[in-house]
Amino acid sequence: MQNSASTPFDRRRFLTSAAVAGATIVGASALGGLDPDAAFAAPMRPTDPAIAAADFAEGIITGVKGSTLHVHGSFGTDYLIRLTNATSVWKVHPTTAAAIETGDGMYARGVRMPDGTIAADAIWVNIVNITCKVRAITSDRVHLQHNQHTIVGRILTGTTVATYGHASATKDLSRLRVGQAVQVLGAWRPADGSVDVVRFSTGH
Amino acid sequence: MRNVLLLPELAPLALAVLLGWTGGAKLLGRHTARQAADTALARLLPGDRTAALALRAVGALELVLAAALLVVPPSSVTLWPVALWPVTLWPVTAAATAALGAGFAGYLAYAKVTAPQSSCGCASARHTPVTPRSFARAGLVVAGGAGCAAAQAPWWSAANHRPVAAAVVVIAFGVILVVTSSELDSRWLLPLRRARVRLFGHPLAGTAGEVPVAATVELLENSLAWQTMAPIVRSALADHWDSDGWRILRYSGVHTGADGPRPVSVVFALDANATLHTVTEPVIRVSVVDEESQQAIATPAAEVTRRPLLPMAAPGLAGA
Repeated sequence: MQNSASTPFDRRRFLTSAAVAGATIVGASALGGLDPDAAFAAPMRPTDPAIAAADFAEGIITGVKGSTLHVHGSFGTDYLIRLTNATSVWKVHPTTAAAIETGDGMYARGVRMPDGTIAADAIWVNIVNITCKVRAITSDRVHLQHNQHTIVGRILTGTTVATYGHASATKDLSRLRVGQAVQVLGAWRPADGSVDVVRFSTGH
Repeated sequence: MRNVLLLPELAPLALAVLLGWTGGAKLLGRHTARQAADTALARLLPGDRTAALALRAVGALELVLAAALLVVPPSSVTLWPVALWPVTLWPVTAAATAALGAGFAGYLAYAKVTAPQSSCGCASARHTPVTPRSFARAGLVVAGGAGCAAAQAPWWSAANHRPVAAAVVVIAFGVILVVTSSELDSRWLLPLRRARVRLFGHPLAGTAGEVPVAATVELLENSLAWQTMAPIVRSALADHWDSDGWRILRYSGVHTGADGPRPVSVVFALDANATLHTVTEPVIRVSVVDEESQQAIATPAAEVTRRPLLPMAAPGLAGA
């Protein structure tokens, strides 16, 4: 099953055949996950002693040098975050380290190295998770009020989803209502302060 | 009456309503102390108590001016010296109103510069940010104060002589006041937008389509496959794509085998149309691929292929 996977397309094709040919596991569980919400979860000590305890860092990226991010934390701590080939990068959707820019905000989970840097397992860029009230709805924007501040939420066709109550996420946004309280998960745009909305959650 | 539009005559009435509302809220509001602490006054003056006192004092001044605008007739100069008091009081009232408006504008500018996050403190106990509308309302107080100095008759006689025109002007003033008062948005603007959605359809209707990746991830994270692979997975979702009805989700991880820890990709294949609410027992294929050798690695997944859910206790048994 040797494969050079020379292009991303080849690599995806190879991984697809590997996954489809893999072991089949049937059954439900409720372990929880590593989706964007995990960026806001308290750092958990893993139950498996083989896994090192996760370190957690957040702040504004003040510089990008090679695969190292210089980060100034909200509480004054400075971090050096190292990205590896295995680091997952989220910026609105799963992307690559090339999407990270100076001035972005970030949350990172990883393992602290002996030299004090954090080798990131996962990094979420500009992620925000805020409680808002819907003020107005247009075809490409939802105007939101968060702590009396107005925020423009941009609708990304194909990306923005909604969860109503406990139902699964859907791309149907037509059940959003003016005046409704919503939890907004998205990516903040430092340039204009607007938010690319990834998910609206209502009725929880 | 020479003022065809009745604007100077009826401006005092509109200003009195506005100042009565904002002054009353400041002077008599139960939350004025908390409101004051949220405004730029708390920065301008020493201590929250002083700020609250100042806010109440401004409220009292607004109420006095509102009362004066309501009851003092703008008498003609020719009445002098018969009615000395009204002749001198009206220009003073008008000038004081314009000065108050100018003071508001100056204060708002100070607040915008020094404490942009602060509340306006204008009329509502709720946090009301300083916006262009706040400046517009302060500007209207200046213009109204200056304008009503030109009034030829008291507002009540103007309303009596030309009731229809007066009603139109009063309604216009009312609309302007409501539109420039962000405190009132929840009373009219949100209902108006809701009505627009009801009448003209939802702007985001027709956006439903295929199952979003978020729903597939949710299904995965509530699966036995995820639980089995959790010790290996280290990253968040690194990549995803659809292929032949499958949705492939890729994570990075570390697999510790006989030759030590190795970086791996953990790939899951799920039905692209399945969600947590369409399947109770998700069927998920999983493979672990060594990042360096690109070889599939035997993992615990090979041993765990099916584990039935334990039966849930029936609701009737809960109290038994």
